[in-house]
Amino acid sequence: MIDMFFHNFKYILKTLFKNKMLIFWTFAFPIILGTLFHLAFSNIANNEKLDIIDIAIVKDEEFNKNIFFKMAFKELSDKKNEERLFHTQYVDEEKAKKLLEDGEIIGYLKLEGETPKITIISNGIDETVFKYVTEQVLQMSQTGIFEIEDINIKNISNKNLDYTMIEFYTLIAMAALYGGIFSIWVMNQIMPDLSAKGKRIAISPIKKGTIVLSSFLASYIVQLIGMALLFAYTILVIQVDYGVYSKLVVLLAAVGSLAGLSIGLAIGVLMKVSENSKTGILIGITMIGCYLAGMMGISMKNIVDKGAPIVNKVNPAAMITDGFYSLYYYETLDRYWFDVISLCIFSGVLILISFRNLRRKKYDSI
Amino acid sequence: MTVFKTFWKILNKNKLTVIIYTVILLVFGISNMKTSEKSMNFQAEKPDIAIVNYDEETELVKGFVQYLNKNCNVKEIENNEETLNDAIFYRDLNYVIYIPENYTEEFMTGKKPELEVKSTGDYQASYAKMIVTRYIQMANIYQKKISDESELVAQVNEVLKNEAKIEMTSKLDSNAMQKVTLYYNFASYSLIACLVFMIGLILNSFNQEKIKKRIIISSENCKRHNRALLLSNCCYSLIMWALYVIVSLILLKDIMLTTRGLIYIANSLVFTLCITTLSFLIGNLVNNKEALSGISNVVSLGSSFLCGAFVPVRWLPDFVIKIAHVLPTYYYINSNETLGTMEKITKETMQPIITNTIIMIAFSIIFIILSNIVVKTKRKIG
Repeated sequence: MIDMFFHNFKYILKTLFKNKMLIFWTFAFPIILGTLFHLAFSNIANNEKLDIIDIAIVKDEEFNKNIFFKMAFKELSDKKNEERLFHTQYVDEEKAKKLLEDGEIIGYLKLEGETPKITIISNGIDETVFKYVTEQVLQMSQTGIFEIEDINIKNISNKNLDYTMIEFYTLIAMAALYGGIFSIWVMNQIMPDLSAKGKRIAISPIKKGTIVLSSFLASYIVQLIGMALLFAYTILVIQVDYGVYSKLVVLLAAVGSLAGLSIGLAIGVLMKVSENSKTGILIGITMIGCYLAGMMGISMKNIVDKGAPIVNKVNPAAMITDGFYSLYYYETLDRYWFDVISLCIFSGVLILISFRNLRRKKYDSI
Repeated sequence: MTVFKTFWKILNKNKLTVIIYTVILLVFGISNMKTSEKSMNFQAEKPDIAIVNYDEETELVKGFVQYLNKNCNVKEIENNEETLNDAIFYRDLNYVIYIPENYTEEFMTGKKPELEVKSTGDYQASYAKMIVTRYIQMANIYQKKISDESELVAQVNEVLKNEAKIEMTSKLDSNAMQKVTLYYNFASYSLIACLVFMIGLILNSFNQEKIKKRIIISSENCKRHNRALLLSNCCYSLIMWALYVIVSLILLKDIMLTTRGLIYIANSLVFTLCITTLSFLIGNLVNNKEALSGISNVVSLGSSFLCGAFVPVRWLPDFVIKIAHVLPTYYYINSNETLGTMEKITKETMQPIITNTIIMIAFSIIFIILSNIVVKTKRKIG
């Protein structure tokens, strides 16, 4: 019996590795997609910081008279100032208009009596900040006080705030669920109603349980190797941050892969359609799951979590993503364990249904 | 005619792919159409914040909250640490302000009580911090002179009323143009995915060895056969293009019928033809139907990510933009971006768009030459 177990195990393993299409979609495609994510998103975090804003000030008599504005903008444009906001050019009005048209500055300031007038070309955060700071200077000038005291603000946000990480977590979720292709393919090989090879296996004197179990195990091993490669790549090359609990990351990946395989198993056993359609259904389920987990727009996950929490509680892609997210962002592990246990229950239920369906199945000899 | 009919038969069998990518484009287009007013006048950006108040509803707190309401979008979010933390992470909020117990009391006695905040650290958060700082600083200054709370708040409000005049010179409705640009940029993804996969699939069906042999010995002239094939491919591409243009007309309405809108449409036509020739090349190169779905996915996703169809070009790292220069999509998107920000349409400002068009046509010619070479070398079958 054990002999047969390993015999089947060995050959399933061999055929899986030799199937180029399966290996492409489960091994290579996530890595390619991850690389693209990395190329596209690596700069977003830097782009979201407030940059030094290029502005101009019309240097006329009004401005020269106004010590407040002179001092304030000098201070705000000072290279040594840590809270520097502006890069300011002092020019005449003609030059300022030219600079604005050429896109060298986002706007310029001109004093009309006491009131400052700002000319800009379009809306945006830089323009808003420019207007806001100018008003602040104006208001301070009315209090007549030069020295402003700092106020006490303490930032208590969690440290890891890079939300592009979610993209990579959904990628891992996608790869884990794509593993279902393996179990669909394997079931196709060993079920007598699906392939000629399956008929041959069915009439051999081996227990069905042995065959199913060894095949399932073989596809799990292949799937885990694919995951290990993907993790190695995301950690070493793309430098995705998975937080500090490396053992728990491995556990989550293993449980996630199991969930992927069990979806494939359930589709393979329960649906009576061609292999191509089964693969199509699996890819469809995976993509919808990943969409709801935030792959095509990170805020999606939060919208679903808030609006219809039940959806992401049964969505394996969201469970995997949420597990990684809680390891990365939260210091406590309650949420992580909730996700891992949900994934276990999810896989358990699907495997149980599939096995119930496989048991005691007999084929008439028509 | 036989070739033409067969072409549509195969297409009809695989229409699901076309439907899927069109639906993706539609979903993107509609979610992008959120109503926003015309941006001809200045509109201040407003960061999204939440306020958690542990102090009493004092005059100072009320004044502060009122001020924040004016300058920010104050969101009502359930005061639960996990909800707030999630909201910060997913940028649903940029800033959360915690007003501690006895804040007003300590403030009025001249102490400097501490405000705790949570921040996303992006520009919206930096701006929110400026907004908060200004009010507290202003209140600090007057607290030294005025001891009555309501009087203090009134005085601070009075000073904060002083505003700068603002004038916006642009007459371009940049919000609307942004939408058109986003739609057409994204359409490049759907177009590539549909064309490369479909045309590849159809060429493959005709290139299968048995069928190819049958075609070669048939009485049908080889040139005529090829022409019919090319024509049906172009026909299919044009239908896809027209479909996406019609979708844009429905979603974006009259703006598409301005000169600018028509240039967008013309630009996408040139791009469609360029991608048709690329698909022709790929279809002739790859002789495996299963591999085609992989290749079309990698090509469409790859060029979309690298050239800025998904993430705006200005957010891409410089070296990615350099790589993107070897792809035709880059020039197509570059034209769209130029159109979106261009103040006036003149000979001068159109120059970069014309250059981009010439480059796309050059790409098409190269693809045609390459596919001819491929077809020739593959012609002999044993």
